[in-house]
Amino acid sequence: MDTKAYIESGKLEAYILGALTKEEARQVEADVAMYPELTEELQAIENAMQLYTDSLAKELPSGLDNRIWGALQFSSAGAGEGKMPPKVIPFTPEYRKPMRWPLAAAVVLLIGSVLLNSILWVKDQNTNNDLVALNTKVTQMEQDQRQLSYLLSEYQKNKIMMTDTGMETIVMHTMLPGHPMAATVYWSKNSGVAYVSVDGLPAAPKGMQYQLWVMQDGKPVDIGVISNDMPSTPAMQKMVKSVTGGQAFAISLEKEGGSPTPTMQNIYVMGKA
Amino acid sequence: MSDTAIVYNEEELVLLLQQSREAFNYLYRQYGPALFGVINKVVYDEQTARDVLQDVFVKIWNNIEQYDANKGRLYTWMINIARNSSIDKLRSKGEIMKGKIHMGDDIVNNVQKGMKTEQATDTIGLKKMVAGLKPEYETIISLAYFKGYTLDEISKTLEIPLGTVKTRMRSAIKQLREIFNK
Repeated sequence: MDTKAYIESGKLEAYILGALTKEEARQVEADVAMYPELTEELQAIENAMQLYTDSLAKELPSGLDNRIWGALQFSSAGAGEGKMPPKVIPFTPEYRKPMRWPLAAAVVLLIGSVLLNSILWVKDQNTNNDLVALNTKVTQMEQDQRQLSYLLSEYQKNKIMMTDTGMETIVMHTMLPGHPMAATVYWSKNSGVAYVSVDGLPAAPKGMQYQLWVMQDGKPVDIGVISNDMPSTPAMQKMVKSVTGGQAFAISLEKEGGSPTPTMQNIYVMGKA
Repeated sequence: MSDTAIVYNEEELVLLLQQSREAFNYLYRQYGPALFGVINKVVYDEQTARDVLQDVFVKIWNNIEQYDANKGRLYTWMINIARNSSIDKLRSKGEIMKGKIHMGDDIVNNVQKGMKTEQATDTIGLKKMVAGLKPEYETIISLAYFKGYTLDEISKTLEIPLGTVKTRMRSAIKQLREIFNK
């Protein structure tokens, strides 16, 4: 056999990776048993995969060892779970001799009962685990649902706003050279309602908050502070104070809760109405 | 470095066969993190991974007599039990799709794994080395080793000829060997 070509084909790698069918795998095992070069190569592949799986090692959750030890206590009284055959408890001839039939029957019954119990226990464990998994899923779905209904109400708000024909969109641009920032005010002149979106602003530093201003005849008038949840999100905030008139909007960074007048060097963005 | 494989001695096996708490502690400490890592590569969901780890220890515990040293290493034997059990779990729960979607999460897992305590310190170096594995190689190893795909299935999934699947496996493990030999 051309073992070099065999090695180059990648069949041994496929074997270690478990990608071969049973027959193919058996053939590889037979080939490897015959040719030492193949054995050597197979071991090198196994080494590499061992180091690879080592690299995946994950810290074990605390307390899991006790849980598993508990499971072993039950399981080893009976049989191995799954497709592997159960352990056989041998009866030695010396032991069997003095034994009478009723006693033997009792032992068989006892073993049967222990076996059945452990199988039932394992099954029960599986059911419990499934239940836990199911609960987790339900909780997750509830969370998703809450999130969706929140999104829906946000979209509805937007829709009402967008369909207001008197709504004006004012884009405010950065006032700090070198810092590309932007924010948008949606303002209905008729109703005096104003919304602000600050997805183009960085998060406010701790203890600080953005505040929206409208310039009325050269004088800044406070419209209210912007929630610190808003920056960098596409969400819109409806301003509590109504805006009856003005020529421009601006946002400044102020101490939390806002200031009576804007700190001039902290005006981040401004836009003409 | 490839020759520094962990050596398993008789003593260790005897301990295992005694089925004592000390034997279990040894087994758990020595191999638990690697087994858990492999299981997590397959099933992703940590709760499921814990259950599978329990199953795996039960199987190892009750079938240690069936381990045949002539057929390969104890480590490989245990890793294979972990792989098979978690792939079975994945299939029984119809979670194959979920697994596929989550393939990108490996990056997140790696970051989390990077923040581990003393137990995993010697694996941090390994992790760093393995990070250099080509993405196409990681994919092919992952599909076969962690998702249980056959050559045929991989060929169809990746739309590459069967022969290429095998040679790519060879190249993938070749790169791993080179990484570890450095």
